[in-house]
Amino acid sequence: MVDATRLDLANEFIDALQDGNEELADEVLAMIAAERESRLFEEIGKLTRELHDSLASVRTESDLAGIAENEIPDAKERLNFVIQKTEDAANRTMDSVEEILPLSETIRTRAGQLQEDWSRFQRREMDVSEFKKMGDELVGFLTELNENSDKIHAGLNNILMAQDFQDITGQVIRKVISVVQEVENSLVTLIRATGVQAGAKKVVGEVEAEGPQMNAENKDNVVNGQDDVDDLLSSLGF
Amino acid sequence: MNKDMKILIVDDFSTMRRIIKNLLRDLGYTNTDEADDGQTALPKLEAGGFDFLVTDWNMPGMQGIDLLKAVRANPDLKELPVLMVTAESKREQIVEAAQAGVNGYVVKPFTAGTLKEKIDKIFERIDTPA
Repeated sequence: MVDATRLDLANEFIDALQDGNEELADEVLAMIAAERESRLFEEIGKLTRELHDSLASVRTESDLAGIAENEIPDAKERLNFVIQKTEDAANRTMDSVEEILPLSETIRTRAGQLQEDWSRFQRREMDVSEFKKMGDELVGFLTELNENSDKIHAGLNNILMAQDFQDITGQVIRKVISVVQEVENSLVTLIRATGVQAGAKKVVGEVEAEGPQMNAENKDNVVNGQDDVDDLLSSLGF
Repeated sequence: MNKDMKILIVDDFSTMRRIIKNLLRDLGYTNTDEADDGQTALPKLEAGGFDFLVTDWNMPGMQGIDLLKAVRANPDLKELPVLMVTAESKREQIVEAAQAGVNGYVVKPFTAGTLKEKIDKIFERIDTPA
């Protein structure tokens, strides 16, 4: 089409020259030049776009470099912080539990003993000296119960306070999730820009440890709780 | 069931070892020792004296499944009852553990009741062989 236009214009130009119409010849020549210019602009436009895309992909690479240099080590540090925090909370909780358990055990034992003594007293199977001994024991038990109740109360409060890790670690993990999201986006952009075929090949290997499964209820090859394990094992003849 | 039996608890997280230790103590088993992966557990087992092994699967160094296989391959240890307490919950993993000769399999998170039930079942089966 363009070539036809240019040929027409060229013919017109020759005609004009042959007719000695200088004015028309100049006009047609200007039209030929304009037509050529527009093609040039089109080419320049295309080159500009390509340059822009290349620069954009270079920027993605430098984004990735930045993430690799700063945000990934930062994310690692944050996740280590989460491990530390949850470990501290678990230990703090178990410290309290280990303190409280023997106290409740003592209460159980002594209360049981006193209950038995009291039944004997009611059945009139107890002499005066034994009764006095029971009275002393009862006073001792109540004193101890008072003290232990305070310790149990303090321990339970300590357990309650140890749960504050949830809030702190939740915030930190959310931050790490956003870094992962950023990496994912940059990688996708980079892959698109460099034209690498997406669609990863998953290597099937031997049975490996994977840690806790996410969304187990949506996966056929994952058991959903102890009952499923028991069913599977009994189907294997366990 | 012998409450004095010596139990080795293997898990890379000290908190999980502590939880299991407390649960076992609550069940009356106080004679326990700990290791943080298969590599440290195996020499302890080989040194003798253990009656029961409770192990995690996913650990650095030597994994629980490899520890189980090593135990079954050792003539002195092959009869040792092994309970796996793990977050690994794929069917193929449970089948793998069963084929490797595990005596019980508990998935995390678990309850004190489940642990007791599985231990009782293991020793019931050992005390009254079919």
